[in-house]
This record gives sequence, C-alpha cells and structure tokens, in this order.
Amino acid sequence: MRTVEDIEIRFPGSLAEALAWQADEKTRGRPLAGGTDLMVQWESGVAAIPERAVSLWGLKELKGIRETPRGIEIGAMTTHTELRSSPLVREKLPALAAAAATVGGRQIQNRGTIAGNVANASPAGDLAPTLLITDGLATAASASGRRDIPLAKLFTGYRKLDVRADELLVSFTLPALPAGAREKFHKIGTRAAQAISKVMGACRVRVQNGTIVSLAVSLGSVAPVPVRLPELEQWIAGRRVDLNLLEEVERRASAEVHPIDDIRSTATYRKWVSGRLVRALLEA
Amino acid sequence: MSTVKRTWVVNGERWTVDLPPGRRLLDALRNDLGLKGTKEGCGEGECGACTVLLNGEPVTSCLIAAGQVPDGAEIMTVEGLEKTEGGRILQEAYIERGAAQCGFCIPGMIMSSFALLSKTRTPDDAEIREAHAGNICRCTGYEKIIEAVKLAANRWPEK
Ligand SMILES: Cc1cc2nc3c(=O)[nH]c(=O)nc-3n(C[C@H](O)[C@H](O)[C@H](O)COP(=O)(O)OP(=O)(O)OC[C@H]3O[C@@H](n4cnc5c(N)ncnc54)[C@H](O)[C@@H]3O)c2cc1C
Ligand code: FES
Ligand code: FES
Repeated sequence: MRTVEDIEIRFPGSLAEALAWQADEKTRGRPLAGGTDLMVQWESGVAAIPERAVSLWGLKELKGIRETPRGIEIGAMTTHTELRSSPLVREKLPALAAAAATVGGRQIQNRGTIAGNVANASPAGDLAPTLLITDGLATAASASGRRDIPLAKLFTGYRKLDVRADELLVSFTLPALPAGAREKFHKIGTRAAQAISKVMGACRVRVQNGTIVSLAVSLGSVAPVPVRLPELEQWIAGRRVDLNLLEEVERRASAEVHPIDDIRSTATYRKWVSGRLVRALLEA
Repeated sequence: MSTVKRTWVVNGERWTVDLPPGRRLLDALRNDLGLKGTKEGCGEGECGACTVLLNGEPVTSCLIAAGQVPDGAEIMTVEGLEKTEGGRILQEAYIERGAAQCGFCIPGMIMSSFALLSKTRTPDDAEIREAHAGNICRCTGYEKIIEAVKLAANRWPEK
C-alpha cells in the first residue's frame, strides 16, 4: 500500500517556481500547506495518496498581513496563531481573529493556514463565515496571471472551490470593520476545545441609535457551502433592536436555512440552533 | 524513492537526516534519530501525545511531513527537557503533584506546558487549560496537571 512516504513532495524556492510546476499536468502536485487536513486525510485513507505534492509552507510571497486601500490583505500561508495574535486582525477583523482562536488546539493553530482552511472547503471550516461577512475577495494566481474571486462566489459546492488546478490561492483581501460596526463569531460543537463545529456563524452589524443600519450574517455547516442569509439581512435593515425583533430574527434565520443530517448532527437540530445562533450573534 | 536531506538542531544537537519528504516528523524523530520519548496516540492530530516544539511552538509531529521542516529548524522533544532549567522544574512539578498516571500522554502534555511557561510567566487557569486543549489525557482528569503547571510557574527561572 502506498503511504505518505511515497509522495514526491517538492519544495519550490519561489511562488513563480511553484506556479510553473502547477501549469503543467506532468509536474503539478497537490498543494500542501500546513498539512493538518491533508496529512490526516492521507494517513487515514480518506483521500488517495497522490503522486506529487507541492509544499507551499514557507513561501515568503504567501506570508504576511498588511493594510491596503482595498482592505486587510492576508497571505495564504498565514497560520491560525498569526491570525489570532495579529493586532491588525484583532482590531479590524475581530470575528476572524476569534474564529482562528477556536480552531483545534495550539498545535493545530501553529500549522493550519487560512488558505488550507478555505481550500479544504469543509462545510465545517470555521473561518469561512467570518470571511464571507466582510464581502472580501480571494486572489488566485497561475503562471499566466492573477485573478480576484469574490468570496461570495468562491465556494461552489460540497468541498468544491472556484479555483483551477493550475492556480494557487495566494491571498485574501478583507474590508476592515467600518466605524460604528461590530463583529461576532460563535461556534457550537460537542466540547469547548478542539471540536469540529455542528454549526458556526459570524455577523458584522452596524447599529445606530438602537436601529440596525446594516447586517451581514453567515453560517457554516448548514449547507454544502457556507452561506449568507440575504433575506434576513434585507428584512432587518432599518428595524429597531428589541425583544420582539430578536424573536422574529430567530424564526426567520431558522426558516432561511436548509441543513442536512450527517455524522455530526441532524437537520432538525441544525435548523433550530441556526435561529438561536443568529439571535445570539445579534445580542450584543 | 527520492529523499531529501535536512539538518536540524534537535535538543541542542545537530542532526542531518536523509529521508522521504513525506515521512512523518514523528517517525523521523523516533526511528531515524532514535528518540523514542515522543509517543504516537491517534496519529490524526487529535490527542497531542506526539507534541514536540518546533522553533519553540508546539506542533503535532504526526501531521508534519519531515521534508517541510527546513534546515536549521530547532526541535525540542521530551528528551530535551532535562537539558533546560525550566524542563527540570516542570518534571519535578509533575512528579510532586502526581500529574502522571499511565504516563502515555505526558511526553506531549509536558511539551505544551513548557511552551506555555516559556512565554507566559504567570498563566491563569483559563490560559493553562487553553494551552493544553490539544492534549488529551485519559487518566488524570487534568486537575493535577494544571496544579503541576502552576507549581512550575512559581519556580520558573527568571531568564
Ligand atoms: C485535531 C484537529 C482539529 C481541527 N479543528 C478544526 C476546527 O476547530 N475548525 C476548523 O475549521 N478546522 C479544524 N481542523 C482542520 C484544519 O486544521 C484547518 O482546516 C486548517 O486551517 C487547514 O490548513 P492547512 O494549512 O493545514 O491545510 P492543508 O492540510 O495543507 O491543506 C488543506 C487543503 O487545502 C489545499 N490548499 C492548501 N493551500 C492551498 C493554496 N494556497 N491554494 C490552493 N489550495 C490549497 C490543499 O491542497 C488541501 O486540499 C482541525 C484539524 C485537526 C487535525
Ligand atoms: S499522535 Fe499526533 S496527535 Fe495523536
Ligand atoms: S496519564 Fe494516562 S493518558 Fe494521561
């Protein structure tokens, strides 16, 4: 039986070298970031052992967090530890910082990356909802150029992304929290630490004088892809926050999602808890 | 099978290995270097028994392809503890507080303790629990481990 030791892992010296390999089917390899998803999938036999892999870990072009006019730009190989401890992310993308702090334990946070979390495209990936609420974009690169993909269009189906085989995710650009807005992330799992989410969500909301000006809310694990709740978002704008509103929010959020049964939870539970979760996100 | 050469500093000593790049760091440490202190529990990143420090940060060595550990990387395993003052303090504290029962989780657990105390001199309970959340212990119920970490924190060297 082939094992991880049979994989020809290659170590590019630069992003350009990696992209040149990915351009050609004969040299292309499975992108390997921190390996916290891939190594498990390979070792447990969930995923087939590929011929080749390309290690992206350590590529300088894929590291770093900086502020740009379009938003906070986060390199693909930024780890959960770097996300949760970056002052810029904590201040301008607080839901992302909070989500990163709940991924696995320290050991996983030190190796797991933002691109790996997104590209693994698990419905239970904790970062996705916190990215979706920013209306930001992902950038993919290939040997022939770069392409921005709105995050709203990145997830195309169960474990599927709008990223071609010759492309690599290189960064995420996320508009910062606007003045007067706040963000929250919340996840529901079986235990507090190192548990895969049953349902998780994030919101970015702006409230002025007790009235909701705008809301972006996103849930994960309630559909094959992480979703926004556009009907609720439209309905709520301009309404006053009070107990009645929160009850109506709970009802509408629950009605707007269509989850399924799987090994981690049931559709009925997820539908109910989605309503509770969105309500909790809005309760400051 | 093509192999890669890597030179690491493991517990303060230079080692050069020549291995398949996908070999788990856990297997490289145990078999190529003969450092059998690091244990394999689940082999899936869940239990933390295989925790070692890579450039001072705890990682699960069962999930790391050894080829991804670059030249010059500093690795510390449970065998390296007794070479440091903090490590000896931690070992004593674990013994005094009776923090090990079957002992299987300890080589990983104590590396998480070491990483925590190297950065945070006086961690509170929540910080101690969070720092060990990636390490599962089937025996102790964690209380004695937390007590041991607190005791070690009190005795931790100034620098
Ligand atoms: C014990 C444990 C607990 C965990 N807990 C959580 C949790 O609480 N929440 C959570 O969300 N996840 C969790 N995870 C899953 C995992 O750690 C994260 O999803 C992590 O962020 C994956 O990143 P990585 O760098 O390790 O990805 P890898 O495993 O290296 O790669 C994952 C996928 O992304 C692809 N990929 C990587 N980089 C790129 C790129 N630049 N371009 C294109 N494709 C790319 C790979 O080909 C692969 O398909 C856990 C895992 C373990 C083992
Ligand atoms: S053996 Fe590595 S985490 Fe369990
Ligand atoms: S002492 Fe037995 S598993 Fe921790």
